Amino acid sequence: MSNTVHTSGEIAVSVQHLGLTYTTTIDRRPTLKSRLKSMGRGTKQTQVIRALDDIMLDVPYGSVLGVVGANGAGKSTLMRVISGILPPSQGRVEVYGKVSTLLALGVGFSPSLSGRANVRLGGLAAGMSRQEIEDHFEEIADFAELGDSIDAPMRTYSSGMYARLAFSVAVTVRPDILIVDEALSTGDARFKEKSLEKIKELRSDARALILVSHALGTVKDICNEVAWLHKGKLIQRGKPDEVVDAYADFLHVRKSAVIDEDI
Amino acid sequence: MTPVDVFVPFHKGLPPLRKYWRTLWERRAFITEYSRSELHEQHYDSVFGQIWLILNPLLLSAVYFILIVIIGGHSDKVRYAHLTACLFLFYLVANTLTGGVKSVTSGQRLILNTAFPRIMLPISATVIAIFRFIPTILIFAILRTVLGLPVGWELLWAIPIVVITIVFALGLAILISCINVYFRDIANFLPYLTRTFLYLSPVLWEASDLKPKLQTIEMINPLFPILDSWSRTVVHAQQPHLSSMLIASAWALLLFIFGTYFFLSREREFAVRV
Ligand SMILES: Nc1ncnc2c1ncn2[C@@H]1O[C@H](COP(=O)(O)OP(=O)(O)OP(=O)(O)O)[C@@H](O)[C@H]1O
Ligand SMILES: [Mg+2]
Repeated sequence: MSNTVHTSGEIAVSVQHLGLTYTTTIDRRPTLKSRLKSMGRGTKQTQVIRALDDIMLDVPYGSVLGVVGANGAGKSTLMRVISGILPPSQGRVEVYGKVSTLLALGVGFSPSLSGRANVRLGGLAAGMSRQEIEDHFEEIADFAELGDSIDAPMRTYSSGMYARLAFSVAVTVRPDILIVDEALSTGDARFKEKSLEKIKELRSDARALILVSHALGTVKDICNEVAWLHKGKLIQRGKPDEVVDAYADFLHVRKSAVIDEDI
Repeated sequence: MTPVDVFVPFHKGLPPLRKYWRTLWERRAFITEYSRSELHEQHYDSVFGQIWLILNPLLLSAVYFILIVIIGGHSDKVRYAHLTACLFLFYLVANTLTGGVKSVTSGQRLILNTAFPRIMLPISATVIAIFRFIPTILIFAILRTVLGLPVGWELLWAIPIVVITIVFALGLAILISCINVYFRDIANFLPYLTRTFLYLSPVLWEASDLKPKLQTIEMINPLFPILDSWSRTVVHAQQPHLSSMLIASAWALLLFIFGTYFFLSREREFAVRV
């Protein structure tokens, strides 16, 4: 996407004192009706969730950062802030390159349209040119191995097919900074292996990778550094073995086999 | 080395407009591509789709014409032309609204996973409505030739009127798509709203039919000066009143500016709201 060549060690993402709070309505669907109803009773409508709290993090080019943490730790939220989707509530995030998140191309945005149209639309929304998308399309379709389904409406896709297409888009557009947020857990074993190969291949290039995963084996295997988030706070960051072991101890699942499975 | 992007907490109010405009302009292809895919999906590029597109508004105007005949209004060819022309323009606005109201909430997946100017979504909905409006202009051109309505250079006034209508509809779509994020049931009220405005606008009746007692309608309904000018121009080939044109433009601009301000000052929190 960008032609600048980054040298290894140069800073790619700098997260400084980042905080983020979600303000959501308690009702799942905010409506005028419910608002009018609760106005009479004077009940509070909103709930504040502190999803990220004073996070400090640097990601240099040429490195792979693993992010681990329990469900609801704020991993996906952090990735959304880095890719500019959620504005921070406090702090500052500096990004020195073009970011692509695994789902960043908004694939599957319109379920009634075909996979092909969705890839195009997602790419255009992310700021790619028509030409760039056409240039990459073959490669994307090949990697996803969806066959003729690429022209079927996306509502007919299984969740694994979704994940395949999204992964293919994210890795094919050659971003400077690639964020992979555990969306591979729905892929089948063969595709998982293939995408792991792809990630390793991308690692050798001059780019930065951020890998969010619950598969601690994979994290240890391919990351140079790991950050452990818990309830919005950065608990520890450092060498993969140390952090992953500390995290696994914390979870009391060290001996269990389940943790090594997924990417 | 300078960062490509810096994300900091936003303040209430507008985002940096120049940068916003630039990112929007870079993504203009999205708007055309999205409209094209949607129209394709609705089969507007097949023969039957085209036929339906022409048949649908004609049937609609036929049904309303029967209504007018039954309740005893004027029912000559001029009235039929007036009804058809005004109905078509009214449906440009109504279709923009129905397409626009859910444009943001249904784009959830894209909003949660991609950073882009959210205003692209209601704009795309408007573009789709415009594409559906274009064939109705052709039908009306044929119709007025068949009915032998007067022709003159005054017909050119139709162009600024359509532009004003589009700005008005776009402003409304932007505003209502944003409101729908906070109140998801707005979409349910919309049919009643458009129906009310259809009856309060000089579509089934003519502006000159309005009883003096009801003249306030003229003041509060922004569609009134638009449709009145439209009918004068395309049906009677007369010059529209300057005052109507000015009032219509003022409404359109006001709504567009207000809607855009409202949308832009809130869109950064859409991702945590949808
Ligand atoms: N759109 C939202 N609105 C309100 N709260 C949210 C929203 N998204 C996430 N949260 C809250 O923010 C916190 C962090 O969520 P996040 O999705 O970042 O967790 P995660 O680390 O990615 O978890 P997982 O491992 O399950 O993917 C959770 O408490 C969650 O309830
Ligand atoms: Mg997550």
